[in-house]
Amino acid sequence: MNPINPPKSSNPVNPVKLANFIRKCVMLLVVALFMIPLIWLAYSAFIAPDAILANKNPLTPSWSWANFIALKDENLFKPLETSLIASSLVVFFQLLLALPAAYALRAGTPLLAVFLFALSVPAELLLIPLYGLLQSLHLLGSPLALVVPFLSSPFTVFLLYQAMVKLPWAYTEAARIDGASELRIIYGIIGPLLRPEMAAAGVIAFAGHWNLVLFPKVVAGDTYPTVQVALAELISKAGNNWGLLGAAALVTSLPIVVLFFAFEKQVVKTFEGGVKG
Amino acid sequence: MALDGEKDIDHIRLERRRSSAWVRWPAGWWGLLPSVFSLLIFIGYPLLQVIGFSVLDWGGIAVGKFVGVGNYHDMLSDSDLRESLFTTLKFAVLTLPLYVLLSVFIALEIEGTRFERPVKALMFLPGLITVAASAVSWYTLFSDYGVFTALTGIVWKWGSEPWAALFLIVAFTLWQHLGYGILVFSAGLKSIPSEVLEAARVDGASEGQIKGKIILPLLRPSLVFLGVVGSLFALQSYTAVFLLTKGSQQTRVLGYYLYKVAFEDYRFGYGAALSVFVLLLAFSIAALQGRFLSRGSAA
Repeated sequence: MNPINPPKSSNPVNPVKLANFIRKCVMLLVVALFMIPLIWLAYSAFIAPDAILANKNPLTPSWSWANFIALKDENLFKPLETSLIASSLVVFFQLLLALPAAYALRAGTPLLAVFLFALSVPAELLLIPLYGLLQSLHLLGSPLALVVPFLSSPFTVFLLYQAMVKLPWAYTEAARIDGASELRIIYGIIGPLLRPEMAAAGVIAFAGHWNLVLFPKVVAGDTYPTVQVALAELISKAGNNWGLLGAAALVTSLPIVVLFFAFEKQVVKTFEGGVKG
Repeated sequence: MALDGEKDIDHIRLERRRSSAWVRWPAGWWGLLPSVFSLLIFIGYPLLQVIGFSVLDWGGIAVGKFVGVGNYHDMLSDSDLRESLFTTLKFAVLTLPLYVLLSVFIALEIEGTRFERPVKALMFLPGLITVAASAVSWYTLFSDYGVFTALTGIVWKWGSEPWAALFLIVAFTLWQHLGYGILVFSAGLKSIPSEVLEAARVDGASEGQIKGKIILPLLRPSLVFLGVVGSLFALQSYTAVFLLTKGSQQTRVLGYYLYKVAFEDYRFGYGAALSVFVLLLAFSIAALQGRFLSRGSAA
């Protein structure tokens, strides 16, 4: 039985029941309002270009692929490839490095504060010095500039650390007695146990890197534009062509949406668990 | 007896002192090395540089001139800064109560019902979609020639009316982050032992009383946590301002002002000093959160 919303009595004119019903309706209305921009994002991509020019009611049904066909001329596919490769690499390395780091923290290495501190630094503030740093490393304009600064993420480490806190640590003692090396314990035992949290951390890391705008624009905007850089340029270039922008926004958001719904359960669970601490 | 007890405490103190005298490195501590190394290079070093830049009068190209605390002194008399602090405050006052109320309302209503999973998933999605794509959607919905105007005939005057632009940013911020707020409160709800609620029900408490007098007070830690997260949004939200209102005077929150000083006015030294200021603000809010949270769990 659900303790917070208990089953209601069956009396049809119960005022409590009526109040509950009204509250449910209000809640669904709020959710529906919040979905409008998402639905519009998907819908506007399929509006025929001439329907917008004719200034008709935008809800007049019109269905066309024209915007996606026009998108072919906008050079969005090379940036898509760049972003897919760069963000995937970032996720791979972040998980690879975060697992042993979280393990060391969980085992009692007294450096958790370092990661909490790094976590609270707003990344935008570091843009200027990072530019200088990548310049002196001769990485400006190289695709490596999109990946190297993100090899380790304090957020990913922290999420995995919180997940490990909930694991019974006797596992590792037992494995050590059986002669397993620390590397084997980390990647062979703890890793598989944390599969849901790693999936969630991976989705968040992918979305975070995929959605960067200013950083990739500054360090490799001319040579290897990412999807967001290309989208930002398209916005300033084709500001009033809604259909085209809608199609571009949809295409560049789709990987995140697909990834999120594939791992929605793990992401929601991990975030709820992370808050409880 | 009492003496024995004191002895025990002394013994424990001694043990504690001994173990903190030299840090014990557990097996596998070296797992931290790659991460710490990477963080030092790509967060620690740039952070030190920002502090270094903040004492320079520097336009970004020529070598900066050392001005000591001059930039920090300028901040005191900067009326634009004062205005953007006020805007940030207005923004926070508008956003925070709505954010917390809507989060707790929706979390309560969906808890344990068939709406729980779809609502959580759908409401979390806007936070993952890039701000640029979301801004495209919001812009075409609410601009003067947008869908909203076309359908209702009401012109949303965000170019001319100060409150309209600020309200739009508030709505956009809520839209992006509400899903997270719902998850925070949902986690809080799930941590309330069901025995407590059942006992109250047996004692004849009404559902309204249970929600108002038991559930809400027990959600205090989540409330504090979300309050802090919400104020950090107020400090950090600049992309939305940038994309939706092009930084019109009435929506210049602190984050946007910082961007403008550095990348539009090319006053990197002053921008760095502002960054240090924003960092200190963010840290003190985070520290406050830590204190409230530990007090909340101790109570």
